[in-house]
Amino acid sequence: MRQRRLLRYHGLKRGRVRQTWNKYNLFNIAGLQVRESLFGKTFFQQKWKAKAMTRAYHGEHIPERQWERMFSKKFQTVINMNPQYMAANDGSEEAAGRGSGRKQLGEEKTSALHMLTPHMQMTYAPQERRLDIAVFRALFASSARQARQFVIHGAVTVNGKKMRHPGYLLNPGDLFQVDPVRVMLATGLKKEKAPPNKALKATPEEEESEEPVDEEESSPAEPAAAPAEPLDPHAAHQAMIQELNRLRLHAKTIVDAQQIGAKHKKALRQFMSNVKEAMAKARKIDPARISPKAGSSDTKLVDDLTDALAAFELGLPDKKETKPAPAAEEKAEAPAAEEKAEAPVGPVTAAVLAHKSNIRLNRDEEKILQRLLEQERENPYDPSKPYLTPWKPRPYMAPFAFIPRYLEVNQNICAAVYLRHPVARPGRSEVPSPFPHVIGQLAFNWYLRRR
Amino acid sequence: MPPRLSSSLCQQQQLLACLEAPLSSSLLGSRRPTIAAAAASLQQCFSHPTTTTTQKSSFSTSQPLERTRPQIRFHNWLKKSGKNHLRHDGDRPKYLYGERPDQPFPLNEHFISEPVLSDDARQRIWDAVMVDGLPLKAVSAQFSVDVRRIAAVLRLLKIQKRQEATGSPFIARPYAKTIMKMLPRAHLVRGEQPFEPINEIHVHSFTTQQIFEPVSETRQFTRADAAKAFGEHILPPDVKLRIPELIDLQKAIQKGVDPAQAEQDFIDKVADHERRFARRQQSLQRKEADNKIHFQAKRCEFRFEKINVDTVGKDGRARGGVGWRYGVPHNDRRRGLIKIPTSVE
Repeated sequence: MRQRRLLRYHGLKRGRVRQTWNKYNLFNIAGLQVRESLFGKTFFQQKWKAKAMTRAYHGEHIPERQWERMFSKKFQTVINMNPQYMAANDGSEEAAGRGSGRKQLGEEKTSALHMLTPHMQMTYAPQERRLDIAVFRALFASSARQARQFVIHGAVTVNGKKMRHPGYLLNPGDLFQVDPVRVMLATGLKKEKAPPNKALKATPEEEESEEPVDEEESSPAEPAAAPAEPLDPHAAHQAMIQELNRLRLHAKTIVDAQQIGAKHKKALRQFMSNVKEAMAKARKIDPARISPKAGSSDTKLVDDLTDALAAFELGLPDKKETKPAPAAEEKAEAPAAEEKAEAPVGPVTAAVLAHKSNIRLNRDEEKILQRLLEQERENPYDPSKPYLTPWKPRPYMAPFAFIPRYLEVNQNICAAVYLRHPVARPGRSEVPSPFPHVIGQLAFNWYLRRR
Repeated sequence: MPPRLSSSLCQQQQLLACLEAPLSSSLLGSRRPTIAAAAASLQQCFSHPTTTTTQKSSFSTSQPLERTRPQIRFHNWLKKSGKNHLRHDGDRPKYLYGERPDQPFPLNEHFISEPVLSDDARQRIWDAVMVDGLPLKAVSAQFSVDVRRIAAVLRLLKIQKRQEATGSPFIARPYAKTIMKMLPRAHLVRGEQPFEPINEIHVHSFTTQQIFEPVSETRQFTRADAAKAFGEHILPPDVKLRIPELIDLQKAIQKGVDPAQAEQDFIDKVADHERRFARRQQSLQRKEADNKIHFQAKRCEFRFEKINVDTVGKDGRARGGVGWRYGVPHNDRRRGLIKIPTSVE
């Protein structure tokens, strides 16, 4: 059952801002009103309102009592020094005159030191140390609650060890890593639900198909006995059967000769069973009644199967097209690369394979094609993934894409390092917050009151 | 958004409820009254106030609103300015309108989206440290990137390269490419703004107070003196800098040393510092290893550590003390105590 506080999570009426990438949330951020919500209220009411607004965003999933324990009125502030100035002066010039440096008449100090340091925006800085919020800030989850779920479900490691506490407070130098599939799920488009029966049906069929093929393999003499009728109209028919048989034997040689993965073996066996089916069909047809049309459809079937086998061979090692080096060596080099060549192929690869023989490209077209193929290899169609493939970013994502400086993120491996605690510096605060300084001040005062 | 009944549906339900009593006896066959039939009893229906937000006054016969007013505003926004954010194209960040283009939250001018290191910038750092063999501090000063960030980039790239070597593909590569287009990036090339300040010092709370310190007018009251005035243990900024060697470098240049020579001296100095640090770490590790005895059994490894019983202190209650001690409670099994680890090695 859903929790009561989640029922109007992105409600438009109250317009609370949350730590999510939701479009309703984006609308609420865009229309956030501060002056109006504080106008005509007592100081206490203003503090209450500010606290309520900010807590709806900052760690809304953390119980208030827990947050009160985390709150600290001490801020981390930093000041940047200038080594060139420090080399030229020993600091005594700052103490000259009456003790605060000599100043010309009418001169005003305009250094960064005299800018406002937004300390009050640092009220929620202790929360940024939490693992779940750091995962959200590193853009690995689409909401803080989702990040929390990833942690609880064991998809996040800290320094290489699984960490199941979303409230773990990161220490400077901690490296956290999220399961890339989860990240892609969180940031990608949703997959449409497939009808449930199909997937269940498909697997046993495939597994069943293995056994009869094995039997077929053990008796290679059987199809050889078939070409016994020497009649002329039968010649084309026989040729087709022979061709099918040749294909089947070729597939068999691939299985036997090469050290290929289980997935490929399975696909090849499926292919061989298809060929066997086709052969059985071909034998059933009375060759005397073959019309030219039917014959053409049969030859099309042979062509299709030839293409499929070619596609399979093409997909085996990636470099096979470019380098005609001995295949065995390549496989020894990159055994994991074979797993990459999946049975389901994307639209570009399929198109290439379908027109492999009768395609002629100039150099530019070749380049474009190579790029498309590369793209497809990087972002393949893979129905086994829990998100929509090829992966596409979810809508309304860009306005939320920012990474605060206290994190160093490597998106390729979905890992990040918590460098240091968030700090305030003149004019800047590192705590991402949609609220202005006034609200931060009021919220800070709310929590200060009880300490 | 939670599913909610549209207001029109509510209206129909009200109508049904109103019509139920008179119609139930006479019109059993056709249970669903048409809108025309319902219009007759509209007046009666509206005379009872209901909780719908889109309630019209009793004399109005116009259709109630399909959506609430906030919903209408939301959908208008989606059609107009919200449409710009639906899909991201180009390779620049695009945030909600604000004071600045790099401000993700329109009302918070104190938080801006600062650039992140691009893939080529990370590779540049890797090459400088792992190929050219420059010390971390020198690389930090060269690219104006914090030393801690340099170390983090190297750690992360090491994991990435290890995975590359195994040949397994990066599942998240399309995500990485897309997100990089949405973020402001720094390439660490000439002519770019410095990536981040590298000479920042933490503001100690002792130094935020005003102190009346009488000194003679002729005295050179330097930064070191000021630090001492704040507290005996407060360090002057010349020592607190992450790369204090930079001050020496600037001093040498100001004295008239050839900048190239001064830079070389700087690199030598930080390299020497790094070597000494590494040696110290190694000796520490060796010491720790000597303190432990490893014994590999069939299924597990036993580790014995030498313990000094005197660590419990005179009263036997020191925090670092080991073992069960009389009168000192063991809290690690108490209910309600937080058992989240505080660090992961």
